[in-house]
Amino acid sequence: MPTLLFEIGSEELPASAVVAGARQLPELVTAQLGVEPARVYAGPRRLAVRVEGLPERTPDEWAKGPPVALREQAAAGFSKRHGVSVDDLDERDGFLGVTVRGKPLAEVLPDRLDAILRALAFPKTMRWDASGLRYPRPVRWLLARLDEAAVEGFGTTTFGHRFIAGELDVPRADDYERLLREANVEPDAVERDRAVRAGLDAHGDWSDPLGKLAEVVHLVEWPRVQEGTFAERYLGLPERVVVTAMQSHQRYFPLGANRFAFVANGGDPETVREGNERVLTGRLEDATFTFERDVARGIDELVRNLASITFFAGAGSFADKTGRLVQLVDELGGGEAPREAARLAKADQAAELVREFPDLEGYIGAEYARLAGYPEAVAKAIEEQYLPDSASGALPETDAGKILAAAEKIDNLRVAFGLGHKPTGSRDPYGLRRAAIGLLRLATEGALPIDRTTAFPDPELRDFVEERLEGLLDVPVEFVRAARKSGVRDLGAVATLASFLGALDDDRLEPVHTVFTRASRIAGSQGNGSVNPSLLTEEAEVQLARAVESEEARIAREVEEGDFESAFEAAATLAPVVERFFDEVLVMAEDAAIRTNRLRLLSELRDAVGALGDFSEIPR
Amino acid sequence: MLASLQAYWAERGCVVMQPYHTEVAAGTMNPATFLRCLGPNEWRTAYVEPVIRPTDGRYGENPFRFQHYYQLQVILKPTPDDVLDQYWGSLEALGIDLTRHDPRLVEDDWEQPTLGAWGLGWEVWLDGMEITQFTYFQQLGGMDVELVPAEITYGTERLAMFLQGKDSALELEWAPGITWGDVYRENERQFSAYNFEAASVDMLMRHFDGYEAECGRLLELGLPLPAYDQVLKCSHTFNLLDARGAVSVSERAAYIGRVRNLARNVARAYVESLDAHAAV
Repeated sequence: MPTLLFEIGSEELPASAVVAGARQLPELVTAQLGVEPARVYAGPRRLAVRVEGLPERTPDEWAKGPPVALREQAAAGFSKRHGVSVDDLDERDGFLGVTVRGKPLAEVLPDRLDAILRALAFPKTMRWDASGLRYPRPVRWLLARLDEAAVEGFGTTTFGHRFIAGELDVPRADDYERLLREANVEPDAVERDRAVRAGLDAHGDWSDPLGKLAEVVHLVEWPRVQEGTFAERYLGLPERVVVTAMQSHQRYFPLGANRFAFVANGGDPETVREGNERVLTGRLEDATFTFERDVARGIDELVRNLASITFFAGAGSFADKTGRLVQLVDELGGGEAPREAARLAKADQAAELVREFPDLEGYIGAEYARLAGYPEAVAKAIEEQYLPDSASGALPETDAGKILAAAEKIDNLRVAFGLGHKPTGSRDPYGLRRAAIGLLRLATEGALPIDRTTAFPDPELRDFVEERLEGLLDVPVEFVRAARKSGVRDLGAVATLASFLGALDDDRLEPVHTVFTRASRIAGSQGNGSVNPSLLTEEAEVQLARAVESEEARIAREVEEGDFESAFEAAATLAPVVERFFDEVLVMAEDAAIRTNRLRLLSELRDAVGALGDFSEIPR
Repeated sequence: MLASLQAYWAERGCVVMQPYHTEVAAGTMNPATFLRCLGPNEWRTAYVEPVIRPTDGRYGENPFRFQHYYQLQVILKPTPDDVLDQYWGSLEALGIDLTRHDPRLVEDDWEQPTLGAWGLGWEVWLDGMEITQFTYFQQLGGMDVELVPAEITYGTERLAMFLQGKDSALELEWAPGITWGDVYRENERQFSAYNFEAASVDMLMRHFDGYEAECGRLLELGLPLPAYDQVLKCSHTFNLLDARGAVSVSERAAYIGRVRNLARNVARAYVESLDAHAAV
């Protein structure tokens, strides 16, 4: 059972391509060779697999020929094609055929390995020569060893560390890993990840706020974690400016105070440290210069420049966006602080520092507001406007922050839907699902009142947002759907109602459910006109009309106040009255006027209970 | 340093050229790159290019940002298989011991919408400092390249800072006793003032329209090379208008679209003119 080592050697791949390639290899190798690779190696200059226990030959296959009935006409040609005589053919299920011997592995490998190379898919690929092969960066060598044997069309050498070791002969598949390590290459990404973490741990308390570690693991083949320092005077900059200067471009890891760690791939440690320290100093110097210029212009001056910066093609400038935010904040019931924060929220889009480090948006605007003497509530709201920035990210802590954050998301959603940029399938380039979920979390966890009809006059967008509640709440979807069709206007209250309905015992839910569904089914679309009391002839319907009249107002009031328990109680009191009505009264009376009047009564009943949701969404 | 690099690439078959006579925002825009990288002909060149980026001016007060600086541009078309080794060799030719330092290729894809151009490549790091942009062109002027060229763009000030161990370009020693700042600081101050404050908006707008019309006229006359000069002039004029804050949001996209349109038309006409020559 031979072992195969197959390596695709290339120029330095983007980290994302290394990850994408490594993820596909097991499946592609299994498809081509019938065996899952024992190891996958992945790094900037190589994607490789080690496959153990390969069969010596491909399996025998029965080649199906002509139907037995056509033996006379077709058998001769078929046998000739397979290089056998007609007597060698056998029969299966009414067809002639012949067993074709499997081929030796070495014979099929070149095609199979080539197929693996060509089947690898990446989001961005390039051409580099006349071969027309596409790959994220030029492929420079292909290595294949079947135990000690070469594979036709493939090389038998690899390359060690780019600057320390050169080309290496790999005599046997088994030698690959050891030879590479001797040549200063760690081919195993898991091992490099472990080495980087261990190296960072050795320097103390490191952090990675922008999440660079996974990329760094694929920027090096022989990681060596080193420490550097910078002049303490830069600690006078806002902390996140310093951290961003370290992380965003240079991919350094803050160690606290003026220390940082970086991951080198080789070189003389002292020389490499000095170089990296000089680069960081340059970046911090640049950041200081830019920061001071922004501060000198001041946040109010930055606001005045927003008219010349596009927010989004078709949705005007950041000045236009600011106008919309101010209005939205008012609609959300914001007071002085959120209003001021909205006016200043996008000022940092005109700041040079944000052009340099986009990650600082929000944060640095807040700093500039503080430096200009705006109240802390205003500054904090500016800082919190993009929260929550992930499905489980923290919410704004301040009320003003919540209002501004909600306005920001509502505007983004309205703009995107208004311009027809709706998410399709898994594609959501503008992060609209995240925005919708963030908004819902502000409404639910954040208890921020948001009127769903005024926030989203476009029913399609409102549905898009509210549908996200189904995944967000730990309540069966049918209760969410029922609550969405209630008379509740507040977004957060819809969620509360869904949870309330979902938590009801069956024997409490059942009577109200029955009242709604029966009334709804019989009343159908009967909605016009009010009940005429003089046409109510029977005692049971008079009773029902009276009950509906008093409970309808009560249910509506309790729903409005968010007291779903009391509203539901009120609805429940209708159940016995309704039951008597159906026992004693024939809705479909012969007299058309009386019939219509009864249907109207049921319609009112449905609407009264329906303020608590569309119970027909809940299957019984 | 510049002389060593040019000599190094001349030995590898590059035509050493001098800067182009019209303002460009990148060495890529020099016709020795943009046009010569189109079509089926092999081409190798190395040249220093002053790049003019009006919005990047900082009145000579920022040690890292200038509206005028130098790139050293190398084009190898088609890309030789050992292109990276040739590049590393050029650093060694400058006396850099690559085993003592930490050279790195960090993903950095390039896209220039005004030229309808993109490519994949890296920024080259040396101990964390970006010293070169390396790009394999894939499209120029909206057309797939026929032979894939490798473009190597050295940031000469960065590289010199690395070699001289300086923290500011202004402090670079240009010649014994003369710094980069001595030569260019005042230039930066005055041109920043011109770009941001003094340039005549009316005149620039008239010029843009004029260059644009001239480009179309020259293309009709079958003169893509002079037509391309008009594209460069349009592009630079737009950059000045932009620095001057004279371009509103909606106008901005329109201007970029107009330049891209011209660049595409010129690229197409240039390739057709090559085909015509080949046919003769």
